[in-house]
Amino acid sequence: MTELTATVHTSAGGHLFELAGHLDFRNVSYLREVVEGVELGPGQQLIFDMSGLSFCDSTGLTVLVMARNRALAAHAGFALAAVSGRVARIFRVAGLDQVFSVYPSPEAAAEAWTRSAG
Amino acid sequence: MDVRTRNHVVVTGREDGPAMLLAHGFGCDQNMWRFVVPALEARFRVVLFDYVGAGRSDLSSWREERYSELAGYVDDVLDICHELNLVQAVFVGHSVSSMVGVLAAIREPDLFAKLVLITPSPRYVDDGEYRGGFSREDIDELLDSLESNYLGWSAAMAPVIMGNPDRPELGEELTNSFCATDPLAARTFARATFLSDNRADLAKVSVPTLVLQCSNDVIAPPEVGAFVHAEIDGSELVTLDATGHCPQLSAPRPTAEAIVAFAAGPP
Amino acid sequence: MRCGTGQDPGGDRNDNPGNEGAVLSALLEDSVEDLYENAPCGYLTTLLDGSIARINGTLLTWLGFTREELVGRRRFTDLLTIGGKLYHETHFAPLLQMQGEIGGVALELAAADGTRLPVLVSSVVKTGTDGQPLLIRTTVFDARDRRAYERELLRAREDADRDTARLRRLATTLQRTLLPSKLQSVPGLDIAAHYRIASHDMVGGDFYDVFPLSDGRWGFFLGDVCGKGSTAAALTSLARYTMRSAAIYDPDPVSVLGNLNTVMNQEYRSDDPRFCTVIFGVLMVEDASCLITFASGGHPPALLLRADGTAEYRFTPGGQLVGILPNAHFTATSVRLVPGDTMLLYTDGLTEGRPTNGRERYGEEALEAFAVDLAPASAQETVDAMSELLDTFGDGLDDDIALLAFSVSTSEPPS
Repeated sequence: MTELTATVHTSAGGHLFELAGHLDFRNVSYLREVVEGVELGPGQQLIFDMSGLSFCDSTGLTVLVMARNRALAAHAGFALAAVSGRVARIFRVAGLDQVFSVYPSPEAAAEAWTRSAG
Repeated sequence: MDVRTRNHVVVTGREDGPAMLLAHGFGCDQNMWRFVVPALEARFRVVLFDYVGAGRSDLSSWREERYSELAGYVDDVLDICHELNLVQAVFVGHSVSSMVGVLAAIREPDLFAKLVLITPSPRYVDDGEYRGGFSREDIDELLDSLESNYLGWSAAMAPVIMGNPDRPELGEELTNSFCATDPLAARTFARATFLSDNRADLAKVSVPTLVLQCSNDVIAPPEVGAFVHAEIDGSELVTLDATGHCPQLSAPRPTAEAIVAFAAGPP
Repeated sequence: MRCGTGQDPGGDRNDNPGNEGAVLSALLEDSVEDLYENAPCGYLTTLLDGSIARINGTLLTWLGFTREELVGRRRFTDLLTIGGKLYHETHFAPLLQMQGEIGGVALELAAADGTRLPVLVSSVVKTGTDGQPLLIRTTVFDARDRRAYERELLRAREDADRDTARLRRLATTLQRTLLPSKLQSVPGLDIAAHYRIASHDMVGGDFYDVFPLSDGRWGFFLGDVCGKGSTAAALTSLARYTMRSAAIYDPDPVSVLGNLNTVMNQEYRSDDPRFCTVIFGVLMVEDASCLITFASGGHPPALLLRADGTAEYRFTPGGQLVGILPNAHFTATSVRLVPGDTMLLYTDGLTEGRPTNGRERYGEEALEAFAVDLAPASAQETVDAMSELLDTFGDGLDDDIALLAFSVSTSEPPS
């Protein structure tokens, strides 16, 4: 019931995290470990594909904020893609839609980053 | 959950024979009766069971409040009688189950035709002139050693009894630990048994009763058997030439013979 | 110098290999009796009825008896403690009879001086050529060390159990002190509150309060620190204290939240971000109505239940979480309650609850529909109805829930 899967695709441009399932206090440390485990350097980008995520509670939000901070500290980019439904609503209430860069798809996020870097 | 499953009830022997209910005592389960059952099966419809917490009873049905008093074990017996529609059964109780039988027969005398009490004791702790055989310190020491799980095999290391082709009497069904009891259930049963005092109940028994004792039994010394016999009006007393507290194990043939003779005799 | 396998029998050392063999076998033959008597374990032989027929020196020494006191005079069971006798009767003897052997049973022997000796006992039935059992041979191992180890394990487990119980009591006490035991009563206003703990092991992060301001108005807040446990509890304290102090100085809701945001930003670590969501507001009771001015920092929207039976959310779009963004934005709004109106604040444990303990969350739509059904209702009636609703969720509550409701009293306050 509280499963979360995070599939990581790594390329020269950075890492794409595909999240699926529920992100809440029960599995947040798992995701934190995955995020902390990737190498991130200047100019790279961290993208979270949220299309498979059906729920995210306040502790889940902290991991996203932490990941964003990590990216910023490494002079890397951070974007969320395909945030929908309930998760989008949670972001809106929390005002995080003004903080995170949100794109309709991972490709759009990557393209926006390349354009801004180039 | 139905009573048969809860108490791992096993019915064997003559379908049309008179009913005989065998009740095990503290520290064991219906396996205690395995050497006498063959002789009893020939004439009776034998009903075996485990009290909840013992043997292969359903452990999830165990409740500390119910099984801290002998009344809880009496309830198990009466539940089984009702479930199986046993009427005018012969109740054979070993050790503390003797008292369970006594209490059950007082509560519902119509269910029982006769009582056989094997090595009974209505009170284990000495009390003034009454010799139960144990001092309070002895019982405290017993409960303490049960408390520490220092007796027998630890729960984690229960032995496996191998089927032995040279010893056919062992049988295949005895592949689990012999008389394994949940430690908490065992401690609770021990407290209920060894701190009980049912001397006053003996006089209320209105059912024909046989007291079967051993000549050399540390746990139920001969004075106790004599006391029980004296208190239950019209009861019979048979002393087996056997050592120990479990004649159905150490001297199964004379034990079975005594039971059959009494049970099949005149009402 | 050669290393020997036994004692040097003394005399001339002869390097002749033939002699070594002779010396060794003499040694072995000589010491069979010695081996039995002084073995590192106890040996006991009994007849079938348990009478002691033979006993070795080691066991006699452990027990403190002489051979004459035991052989032919006592039974094996006489050496056992009461518990051991019982166990012997119900398990040991029957199994030995059935199997012919039994091993590794923990018992206690009663020594002559009354002390108890923890031992491990193994027995085997010795049969004659015709298979008839004749004797029982028993080995007794000293289990004092093992028993000491087991005792340590037991004690460690009991300590752990006690600690868990104590921790649980601590969490409950802490929880109680972090919440106001009794809410202030505000003249002209009915206030009701409810707190429901999801787990008794961990202190939760919900908080609320109502307190007087210096100018006759009243401040209030209801919020939710993310996470549980001692860090969340500490942050809860910080949030409450900060807002109360800030409000005394300048009760403007946006300013108060700004203050809180600054303070929490200082506390927060980038690898372990801590934020809270909160609604802070000011109550001003005048005539028979109450003006409520409030700001939200990323918190779920307040619910308004009107006297005319309608109910709706009061959104504050754009308000952001408090504590992790350096210049967080907060949105203010105001509401006037007239007699029969109620405003309800809650934490997201309510909407995130799972009514059937399944996957489905209760949700904002369902809550609004529930409020529409309920309205009009007083503060107490609203909180009671919510509490009953939560009762139906059973185990489907993952997070603590705090509720705070205000309504304008419909009866005249006592003068």
